[in-house]
Amino acid sequence: MTESHIHVRQLSKTYHVPEREEGLLAAMQSLAHRRFKDIIAVDNVSFNIKQGEMVGFIGPNGAGKTTTMKMLAGLLYPTTGEVRVENYVPWERKTQYLRTISMIMANKNRLNWENTAIDSFRVLAAIFRISRADFQSMLEELVELLEIEELLPKLVRNLSLGERMKCELAGALLHRPRVLFLDEPTLGLDVTMQLRLRRFLAEYNRRTGATMILTSHYMADVTALCSRVILIDHGKLLYDGELAGLAERMAPFKLIRLTVDDSREQNASEIERTLLNASFPVTIIDQVDRGFSLRVEKGHAAAILTHVLGELPVVDISVEDPPIEAVIDQVYREGVYL
Amino acid sequence: MNLRGGWELIKRSYLGWLAGRGFYWTLTFGWMVPSLLYLFVWATVAGQGQVQGFNRDGFIVYYLCFIMLNQFTYPVCNWTVGDSIRFGRFSTWLLHPMPPMFEVIATDIAMKVVCTPFATLVTMMLLIFLHPALPFSLWSCLYFLPALLLAQILRFLMAYTLALLALWNSRADALLALNDTLIFLLAGEVAPVALLPGWLGILAMVLPFRSMLGFPVEVLTGRLSTVEIWQGFALQSAWVLAVILLYRLVWHQGLRHYASVGG
Repeated sequence: MTESHIHVRQLSKTYHVPEREEGLLAAMQSLAHRRFKDIIAVDNVSFNIKQGEMVGFIGPNGAGKTTTMKMLAGLLYPTTGEVRVENYVPWERKTQYLRTISMIMANKNRLNWENTAIDSFRVLAAIFRISRADFQSMLEELVELLEIEELLPKLVRNLSLGERMKCELAGALLHRPRVLFLDEPTLGLDVTMQLRLRRFLAEYNRRTGATMILTSHYMADVTALCSRVILIDHGKLLYDGELAGLAERMAPFKLIRLTVDDSREQNASEIERTLLNASFPVTIIDQVDRGFSLRVEKGHAAAILTHVLGELPVVDISVEDPPIEAVIDQVYREGVYL
Repeated sequence: MNLRGGWELIKRSYLGWLAGRGFYWTLTFGWMVPSLLYLFVWATVAGQGQVQGFNRDGFIVYYLCFIMLNQFTYPVCNWTVGDSIRFGRFSTWLLHPMPPMFEVIATDIAMKVVCTPFATLVTMMLLIFLHPALPFSLWSCLYFLPALLLAQILRFLMAYTLALLALWNSRADALLALNDTLIFLLAGEVAPVALLPGWLGILAMVLPFRSMLGFPVEVLTGRLSTVEIWQGFALQSAWVLAVILLYRLVWHQGLRHYASVGG
């Protein structure tokens, strides 16, 4: 028995894949002599997740996020390591375990294209042995939350991407999973639909206390839903902790954005000189007309602000943390282990 | 066993197949063509005489029964499972709390329900047009039922097991094509197995392909003695058992190798 809802210890997955040089000759040679290469997709990853937590699982393409999620969902066997989700070993694929979880993959369809959404939901209800009363009440709840009433009688193949994603989500939640693996759930959706889905997922988590692991290339998904992130790159775990803590540790900078009054006879290079004359280092990272973006060390931000306001006719000024995308990009580029 | 889930899957698959019934009827006709060709070839060869106990009517009845049996036992999983694995749909089946085989069986049954009326219609028209003498007896019909059931199980399991080899390298088409070719040669389609010469005939008698098609047709058309029928049942059962063991091995090992395509 483990205390954590999801318990992962030294999990690794190595793919044994065929490889060959480009060209016809290499293709012919590979018929007689096939070469294989080992690709380490997940490398000794460990973490624990508590019940009801929403965790962002982030990393660049090929980092090993989806492979890890697939092992947690029981779709893949690991090469080594230990996983327990609600005290089940996922890849044993026990019926009870599969009734406990749900996995949403952006590019995979759970609903049948030739059927209406409502018929597909009924099939899923039968597969998951949901009683008619439970099905009806859950369907009503999901229809209300996702606003899909008018989509129910439509053929799935006739739905737009956003509509289909909402129906896929409803289908994945009909059996009230306690653990949800979300692999790029907002991929390809417009901004409005992304917002709605995020709101829905937060509400589902609040209502049911379900544990959620989310991968997404849209950092807005992660920042809106997850207070904790797990960063993975080249299969290795780089960071596991608070999202805010990540920015704090990786980006000890502030961004100062300011606009200087153009009624004074002061050209851009003079303004630039004044800015750089501060007693602490300042980096000008962007300039458009009389608007400047400065990067300054957090500890010096107040002094630099005083200098700027005293020396220049500032009409607008703001101090911001750097965007989380920039912080994460820095982690990937510099490969810093936190 | 989740019968409600299985029933809903059959209904879902049936509606899906029904939506493209024109295509599937063409496909069904395609399956009939080789048997029809050999029907006319052998009926012509027999003429007014006999070829090893088969006269013209014997060949016509044999091949018309063969067409219907081929329709009943054709495993649609030949294409569907490989595609599902290759395009990643298999992953969604694995996430369901019922074995993926349910999906495959449901599709198979639905296809049969959609396509059988068409095959029956064509066969009946040929029966009326060619009006052969019918050799069926009550006993041959009774013996035929278990032979049909075992043939269906054997052919389905063999195709499903071979299709599951796609769990290793995503492509099992070549093996499935080989399986189809061996069925064509050794199951009684190119000629009734009794007509195959020498070692080919012996091979056809012991390999599983005759048990999938030729044997039930021979039972139904009254060409076998009671002893031969029971020997045939024993052989069918032995092959079913062997293929079940092979299936279990392929399934458990295949899942370990499954690389779950697509990111």
